[in-house]
Amino acid sequence: MKNIMEIKFKYLLITFLILVNTIAGFSQNTKPDGWYQFRGPNRDGISTESLSDINWSETKPELVWKKELGSGFAELTISDGIIYTMTSEIVDSITGFEYVAAFDENTGNELWRSQVDSIYFDVDGWGNGSRSTPIIDENQIYSFSGHGKLSANSLKDGTLNWQIDFVEEFGTTTPRWGFASSPTIVDDVLIMEVGGTDSRAFMGFNKKDGSINWSSENGNASHDSPLAATIDGKEQIIFANGRKLFSFTSTGDTLWTYNMPFGSLTAIPILIDKNKIFLSGVRTPGFIIIEINGNTATEVLNGNSMKNDFSSCVYRNGYIYGYHVAALRCVSVETGEVSWTKRGFGKGSLIMVDDKLLVLSDKGKLAVVKATPDAYTELISFQAIEGKSWTAPSFNNGKVFVRNLTEMACYNLK
Amino acid sequence: MKQITKYTLTSLLLIVALITNAQTVDEIITRHRNAHGELKKWDQVESMKITGRFTAFSVEDDFFAIKTKDGKYYSELKLGQFDVIEAFNGETGWTIDPWQEFTFPRELNKSEQNVFLQKAEFFTPFYNYKENGCEVELIGKQVVDGIDVYAIKLIRTNGHTETWYLDANTYLEYKRESRWVDFAYGVPAETYFDDFREIDGLIIPFLTEKTFWQRDRVLQIENIEFNVDVDENVFTMPKSAEIEKLAFLIGNWGVRVNAWSGRANRWYKADSTSSTIDYIATNLIQEKISFIDFFVQSNITNFGYSSSESKYFSTTYSGFSSEIMMMNGVFTDSTFVLNNVKIGCDTSQASIQIKATYSNITEDSFTLGIEQSGDNGKSWNPWVQLIYGRMKE
Repeated sequence: MKNIMEIKFKYLLITFLILVNTIAGFSQNTKPDGWYQFRGPNRDGISTESLSDINWSETKPELVWKKELGSGFAELTISDGIIYTMTSEIVDSITGFEYVAAFDENTGNELWRSQVDSIYFDVDGWGNGSRSTPIIDENQIYSFSGHGKLSANSLKDGTLNWQIDFVEEFGTTTPRWGFASSPTIVDDVLIMEVGGTDSRAFMGFNKKDGSINWSSENGNASHDSPLAATIDGKEQIIFANGRKLFSFTSTGDTLWTYNMPFGSLTAIPILIDKNKIFLSGVRTPGFIIIEINGNTATEVLNGNSMKNDFSSCVYRNGYIYGYHVAALRCVSVETGEVSWTKRGFGKGSLIMVDDKLLVLSDKGKLAVVKATPDAYTELISFQAIEGKSWTAPSFNNGKVFVRNLTEMACYNLK
Repeated sequence: MKQITKYTLTSLLLIVALITNAQTVDEIITRHRNAHGELKKWDQVESMKITGRFTAFSVEDDFFAIKTKDGKYYSELKLGQFDVIEAFNGETGWTIDPWQEFTFPRELNKSEQNVFLQKAEFFTPFYNYKENGCEVELIGKQVVDGIDVYAIKLIRTNGHTETWYLDANTYLEYKRESRWVDFAYGVPAETYFDDFREIDGLIIPFLTEKTFWQRDRVLQIENIEFNVDVDENVFTMPKSAEIEKLAFLIGNWGVRVNAWSGRANRWYKADSTSSTIDYIATNLIQEKISFIDFFVQSNITNFGYSSSESKYFSTTYSGFSSEIMMMNGVFTDSTFVLNNVKIGCDTSQASIQIKATYSNITEDSFTLGIEQSGDNGKSWNPWVQLIYGRMKE
């Protein structure tokens, strides 16, 4: 009898604990599924899906759909069967608009679009429209226009819920080629590189109404996006701004700063293992790796074998894969030595799915390449999209999504 | 004795090594040249016409270039959103490159001249490096991007050095490190060569990728024609389109100078003189003249065009008063009118304004009328009139 009671009690206790954990999990882990933000679920360019059970010699990528899309460089973010991105429409040579828009993942058909700003016309002809990638949250999508307006729109129908003009509100100077930083969300705080005056370089916003949670530090708006990751056991938001690296908690407390030997980075900081950060730009040195212990950052390696321009690297098992200016490379993070180099992709982009690199050339050729330091091994390649393609692919439900300045396309790789 | 023998032996080995090294450089270069086809055939090539696709800023567009055996180079390409023209006569050259925010031709600077020496080569500088006065030095055998290469240092006569990496198996060029230019500023560059194809027995890299700073430029050749007719005029720097409109000024002129008599209310002949007007730069015309109206006026006048202001301007340096007068204006309806403008820090209103009008323009003559105004241009009074007639050769 006692045993039965004990068993019942244990059962109830376990059920209760599971329930508590589940509720706690729901309240803490509100991250959407899918490729829901800049560079995917973990902001590292790596999908959590698998591509390992494919016989590549027999695989022929299937075009699921291809649709016209206005100009812009935002990645295609995807969750719950819907693609969200930024697009634009030119009215005449001096007029146009930027939109956040939603599309059906299976068909590419537009579901809604909401105007968020006037269009950003690029001064050098690189391409008009937004440079920043939106982030999908529970009920809203947050986007950042080329002219510096942060907007929150309803996921359901695109209704604009709130908007902040960084130039007007915070005195931010528009960077040459427009605002490009992509928002991130940590602990329900919407975090942005603002570049405002009066210690408003970095800010945290209440994601529900856009009210200010915190602001900190001085610095101009750059083209770089913050990294949000658990480093040395702590959730940290890392900004590379000017020649300085900043680490914050989601409540805006500075954990540490580090003076970099270079500045003006565009490629996002990359987390290596648990407590190292890879940073790269086109200057000399081309990259540094710093190690975080406690709240101290120390350089452990630098070199010139990887020089990222606007395209960010991915990391796997001791090796960085990315663009050394315009050459695809695999570089050891232990030694900085080059394992292999492959030219022909121009200034393209890449992401990683499982142990495969999905490499998109700057003219829209997509290649699946083994993520191994042994040799450049291409499994398949095909012309996925035409023309200038500077936006990195997205991956969701076994499909790869690409865009350029005029259209977007979806391919089934399985 | 033993020590002397050791010393002799070491010296001998060193000399042998040096000789071997020198032979090796020559041997490698000979093999490299042979890898590009028979030298006899290359010697018969006087010119090359290249067409293809050029990629800059990830945008691909048409490319056209001419190369000549004596080192001339001309090309038309699209660099991003702008059409660019480049020309090089083997020593100097010109370009129209709107990226530098002007659209008229300009001369190449020294850094660019070094770039165009590289662009003008039929394949590599080793084709005729000795005749061209280049020096070479074998750095050694290396591995670049997993490829065994011979690294050779090349020193050009202009003092610039380049490092060439020749594939140790094919002896064709794999990579070059050299000085290049980014917006006319000298920068280090890496160039990679690929897609070697045979045309009429000659081997040429059809794909060239160049990276410098964060730039990436790719040339994919589609067709090459040898020994085409070359229009030598393309290597001469043209004048800017706007300054070309003032071509009527160019020449050696006989000039009748009339001065205005206010009392008599008529012109009277003050002097007969001569003038020489010529281009002194792509966007600049200069006149030298000395005449007497009452005093002896020895003037040098420069005419130019400001694309930012969409106006012509002239600056006259007076040898009589040592003063400078600047004027600007427009050329409309066959009449070229300039008004004086204030220069320097004095912002006070000029008491007398001057207007120069070039009219009655024909192939062999024109008239320059100079008027004065004492009421801010409300009324104008004649001052001097110069009637230009072209002098016979």
